[in-house]
Amino acid sequence: MNKTSEIVIIGGGVIGTSIAYNLSKKGKKVILVEKGDLAFGASGSCDQEIILQSKSPGVHLQMAMRSAEIYKTLEDELNHPIEYKNTGGMIIIETEEEMKTMEGIVEKQKKFGFNVEILDRNEAAKLQGGLAEHLQGSTYSPQDAHINSMELTIGYANAAKKLGAEVILNTEVTGIKQENRKITGVQTSDGDIDSEIVINCAGAWAPAIAQMAGINIPIQPRRGQIIITEEVPPYVMGDILSARYIAAKYNPDILKNSNDPGIKLGVGLALSQMEKGNIMIGATREFVGYDTSVTREGIKEILKYATRLVPGIRDLNIIRVFAGLRPYTPDGLPVIGFMENVEGFFMAAGHEGDGIALAPVTGEIVSDLIIDGKTFIDDSVFDIKRFN
Amino acid sequence: MSEKKPVYICRCQEITEDDIKKAIEDGARTVKGVKNRTGATMGLCQGRTCRKLIERMLARYVDMNEIKPGTRPPVRTVKIDDMVKGEEVENE
Repeated sequence: MNKTSEIVIIGGGVIGTSIAYNLSKKGKKVILVEKGDLAFGASGSCDQEIILQSKSPGVHLQMAMRSAEIYKTLEDELNHPIEYKNTGGMIIIETEEEMKTMEGIVEKQKKFGFNVEILDRNEAAKLQGGLAEHLQGSTYSPQDAHINSMELTIGYANAAKKLGAEVILNTEVTGIKQENRKITGVQTSDGDIDSEIVINCAGAWAPAIAQMAGINIPIQPRRGQIIITEEVPPYVMGDILSARYIAAKYNPDILKNSNDPGIKLGVGLALSQMEKGNIMIGATREFVGYDTSVTREGIKEILKYATRLVPGIRDLNIIRVFAGLRPYTPDGLPVIGFMENVEGFFMAAGHEGDGIALAPVTGEIVSDLIIDGKTFIDDSVFDIKRFN
Repeated sequence: MSEKKPVYICRCQEITEDDIKKAIEDGARTVKGVKNRTGATMGLCQGRTCRKLIERMLARYVDMNEIKPGTRPPVRTVKIDDMVKGEEVENE
């Protein structure tokens, strides 16, 4: 198979398919290449939360809020059941120290125009049953939502195909072709595809793809283990995180120095309920290379922490556990943009645990930057040079 | 003539033979690919009946030696309390 395309996208996760859809919508000829199948990486092994509260005030939150707008009508736009539900969400606060941190974050988010407030223990208990007595309270925002990430990926891919995009599965990119530091295409396990623009959306595997073009990017795989319970009647109010989840996300160093095995594994609570009734309980944040196995210790520590905060779930049965690799960057923001040294090589990866929340807006930003050379958001924060 | 009755492959999630066929037509070549597209194997029994049936359907398209089951343990359900209690006992 030898083909030609205006743009080649590498990676069939939620970011790659969203970009394929957005570029196709604007009339670009796109070929997406995926080494496995759709949503085979982090997009198919994550929780389902589109939580805005976990985003830091600034461009990060601005992106999430724009995504939230797009999500409201996305199901109709893609004509695919993506199970979007605007449920609202809360961040559970266990200690006084966490309360101080969350008060600071909430104040900044409010100034940014985001609808969020702090609740005391009693107010929080009215929203969610089964909470522990010792909790300080929680935050609450009506703007959080959730979605089925696999349906979302498939929905984007199918909508892109209807607009003329080609999606090639079970085909691995083995090389990036360039002449005089200018992209000319990709080599795959099934022939070459000629193209002047290549977009790297390979998530946790993006560093290996970038390396083929001679570029180093500071993305690392970070493992998240998640537990699924049996189907139960509606119980979880929407998206629930714990304040420690926020700490684990932004301060990995603090966690390293702890003796608590749960803290060492980066355990924070992410609790939500799927449409069919299964409750998802996550997650760890571990640096263990590309190992996607589930560990007894990880599962145990998640459940210990989850039942300490929400004892109401103790009697449920778990039916499935899994782990996925989030593409971690040192500052929690993705790398988006053309690379300076290789003309035509574009990066769109490194969303860590925000891939689902930020996929729609990432698709818009990338298609803007590629077609118009500018976008509605300050894209300098995504520049790879910030890590130098 | 009466309408053809649906053949259920995954009873827990009520996924039919036609649903699986559509997933394979859409490009699924592994049990995981079928699962992502249909939700089959994700119910209470975790694919104990349907996994074999899906593998047989896939066998027409793929070399079966290459199919990875993609099983996500536990194979049998476990009560959360039992997992947590075990830890408490160990600490005593």
